[in-house]
Amino acid sequence: MVEKIKTELGAALKEIPIGESDYRERGYHLFAEVASSDLLNVARFFDERGFYLAALICVDYLEYLELVYIFSNHVSLCKVKVALKIEPARPVAPTISTIFDCACWYEREIREFFGVTFEGHPNMTYLFLHEGIDYYPLRKGQIPVSDEDKKSLGSFRPEGGEDTFCVNLGPQHPSTHGVLRVVLKMDGEYIEEAEPVLGYLHRMHEKMAENRGYLQFLPNTGRMDYLGAMSFNLGYVTAVERLCGIAVPDRANYVRVIATELNRLSSHLMWLGAYLADLGALTPFLFVFDDREQINDILEPVTGSRLTYCYFRFGGLYNDVDEAFIAGTKAFIERMKGRFSLYEKLVTGNVIFINRTRGIGVIAKERARKQAVSGPVLRATGIAMDMRKTEPCAAYGEMDFDVPVGTRGDALDMYHVRVKEMENAVKIIEQALAGLPEGPIMTEKVPKKLKPPKGDLYHTVETPRGELGIYIVSDESDTPYRMKWRVPSFSNLMVFPELAKGNLLADAVAILGSLDLVIPEIDR
Amino acid sequence: MTVSPSAFIKGAGSLLAGLGVTIRAFFQPVVTSQYPRQLLNISPRFRSHTKLVADKDNPDKNACIACGICVKNCPSASVVSVDGEKREGEKRKTATSYILDFTTCSQCGICVEVCPYDALDFSADFNLVGYKREDFHFDLVKEFEKRKKTS
Amino acid sequence: MEQIVNMIGWEALKMIIGLVGVLVFVVLNALILTWAERKVAGHMQRRIGPKEVGPYGLIQPIADALKLLGKEILTPRAVDRPLYFLAPIIIFVPVLVSFIVIPFDASLLVKDINVGILLILAFSSLSVLSILMAGWGSNNKYALIGAIRSVAQNIAYEIPLLLALLPVIMMVNSFSLKSIVEAQKGLWFVFYQPLAFCIYFVAGVAETNRTPFDLPEAESELVAGYHTEYSGMRFALFFLAEYTNIFIVSAIAVTFFLGGYQGPFLPGIVWFLLKSYLLVFVIMWLRWTYPRVRFDQLLNISWKALIPLAFINLLITGGLLKL
Repeated sequence: MVEKIKTELGAALKEIPIGESDYRERGYHLFAEVASSDLLNVARFFDERGFYLAALICVDYLEYLELVYIFSNHVSLCKVKVALKIEPARPVAPTISTIFDCACWYEREIREFFGVTFEGHPNMTYLFLHEGIDYYPLRKGQIPVSDEDKKSLGSFRPEGGEDTFCVNLGPQHPSTHGVLRVVLKMDGEYIEEAEPVLGYLHRMHEKMAENRGYLQFLPNTGRMDYLGAMSFNLGYVTAVERLCGIAVPDRANYVRVIATELNRLSSHLMWLGAYLADLGALTPFLFVFDDREQINDILEPVTGSRLTYCYFRFGGLYNDVDEAFIAGTKAFIERMKGRFSLYEKLVTGNVIFINRTRGIGVIAKERARKQAVSGPVLRATGIAMDMRKTEPCAAYGEMDFDVPVGTRGDALDMYHVRVKEMENAVKIIEQALAGLPEGPIMTEKVPKKLKPPKGDLYHTVETPRGELGIYIVSDESDTPYRMKWRVPSFSNLMVFPELAKGNLLADAVAILGSLDLVIPEIDR
Repeated sequence: MTVSPSAFIKGAGSLLAGLGVTIRAFFQPVVTSQYPRQLLNISPRFRSHTKLVADKDNPDKNACIACGICVKNCPSASVVSVDGEKREGEKRKTATSYILDFTTCSQCGICVEVCPYDALDFSADFNLVGYKREDFHFDLVKEFEKRKKTS
Repeated sequence: MEQIVNMIGWEALKMIIGLVGVLVFVVLNALILTWAERKVAGHMQRRIGPKEVGPYGLIQPIADALKLLGKEILTPRAVDRPLYFLAPIIIFVPVLVSFIVIPFDASLLVKDINVGILLILAFSSLSVLSILMAGWGSNNKYALIGAIRSVAQNIAYEIPLLLALLPVIMMVNSFSLKSIVEAQKGLWFVFYQPLAFCIYFVAGVAETNRTPFDLPEAESELVAGYHTEYSGMRFALFFLAEYTNIFIVSAIAVTFFLGGYQGPFLPGIVWFLLKSYLLVFVIMWLRWTYPRVRFDQLLNISWKALIPLAFINLLITGGLLKL
């Protein structure tokens, strides 16, 4: 498949060389460097072949700015990196948001952080920042933001029309799962337009990554997605290990799988409770917290934390698990199997719940591909893509589990997919516990200050919300040169405005809840 | 809204099943613990602020030699400063002040890990309270001395 | 004493004592129900409800009342003053009037009016007016949306409410609540009219704006619906009215279908209160189990399901009575 893409791409691009790279080291199969004039052709080429835009990253190399487009495919799992060099003094690039809808927000983010103008972009306004920011944050030098830039970026003014009025959903709102503000233009009860406004929780993690060593950045990863902190930890740790070529002992891999699956279970349970609280049933929220507290009580004696874990280290774990952990996890698994029938009776079969969620927020497969949706939201539309199967890290390759898919892509399917994922998580934990090997938990000879070899890496991991992509550019020093976090909730939120259109407000809340967003990871 | 009789019965049955769950929960014992009156066990690996550990050979003094590796490695600059002096007849320095700003600490454990003399460990103070930020600026050497007196 | 009776007449004195008794009962009922709601919610969620204030948290409602009394009564500047001030007062009128005719025991009711149930139904429509006044007078788009929804819901569910009570009235041939209770000496009407009981109960829950029909007050969507702009004691009055409405809905269900104050051994009033509070418990049970029904589905249930069923029930009852 990779060869086929290479020859076809070569035919389409003619003079541009296409290189093959070592997938193990780089995270992509092919790479190509294009000029601005070819970019749209390349984008159309990938669109016709069913690729999706996994990430759009900008890196400031001082002599030039590089825009990195990572195209990936659900079926063939081929990843292609397309690089576009632009000059730093007046950075301009064509927009591909007409072909890939997800590029709309990716490009807005790059515009306000790097100052790259995208020609033809429909809505270039502030996404995370505001007029008080005077310099482009992620540029390596102090490049000031000109006044015309500030004015054009700050031109979003919500206003109602003749029959419509504008209402704010948030930022302080019990249903928005974080600090998210959505400006709704409403016609009576129906929503005409929904425009999310982000940045209320922006803490500049990507800039912090450039100023801290690899080990020192590890606590930040748990703060980005606090509900799935283990999976973010796992993604980061395995990315750096892949970059440096560090091997991990088997026992550490198995414990990583157990901890990450417990965290996935905890995250999905929280989603279930919060979603039902949005819909009005307040009791499942507390039942869910009962289970979550049991998980926290198991993980706390081992990791020391209950929510924002910092447990993995490069080459293994911080400390070993003991008999109490194994016994506690086994007891919890047995109890959890009984709890699933409780949720089945209270929620899954409930006719009021089914009528609230069936047919709400239907995402078509084609829209899901263009918006780069991932995770349970993608699997609910019918595309069976799970990074744990396609790119297994830790010990996932040895586990036997299913990837549940839905058929219609509505909120009810997303609910069913997540419940089945919880059951699969229980299965995986059981297998991992049964096969837990003895041995060391940390490799020998991991240098205290990691200095990875020069190069870049795009590493993906399956978090409870979807595909997390970490793009690290290393320049052989002990701090990363650029670290980009492609978070799943960002792409999932992009689908919301088109889903909310024409719906009632109650349905919009149900749709927002079903996407399982965690705003801190969107805002980073 | 035409509903077939079987769908109606299934729907009504699901409603009754939900009622059954809550009424069973009504008669089951509570799963909460009454916190201030009923204290919970804190696991030994719980991560609160760090504390200095006694030296293995001489339990009267702490094991820190003020090398400053933890200060350099903290990602949040929470270990503000570590001062020490070389006393008579001792091979290495003794720490005289260890200022920790707990308001910015993220309990990552890097300082505990990198300390070459294993002088740091996590404490189990889970219910810290105070009225101002300065209440959480700890001097770990003073805390060590306080603990020595009370034990 | 003799002079007072001569001045105003025995009937009037009975009326005044009865009204005072009703007011006391309303306040006590509200206190008990707020405590019971929190306890029931707590135990259904595997936790204890209030427990610190007094034994088993029994003094908690008094603490809440004192807190509400102490809150600043904030009147926003742009409200429509007459509507804004009158709304919480008017919402109490139907509640108090309804209590006049409900028979707590064979001889314990304020006045046995021969159009008892018509009085109650007529006055309950007045609460719709009060909600609209609250929503419009608040000058707040969220409150207005909540009020409009609540009005549509109330109007839609009054019809099945009435239609479900009509078969019983036809069977007894009288509107007076006392005669309806007396007519259940043999067998309670719930066995003759199970469908009417279910329809009445569902419509009653919807009338009181409780989950699963509480969209007008949905916290996770529109802040708090029509009483967003009310604070302190005015807010407390709305809540008082809601809890008393719950009791009245249960009391009428008990009177019409479950035999009122009749029962062996214990005095009538004890049976009446027992049965009413059992139905109140069921209403609370429903709240803590189900999610909210969406607004258009809510109206669909009333117009397309409950009203046709109630009509069919009415026709069948009428036919059977004729034969």
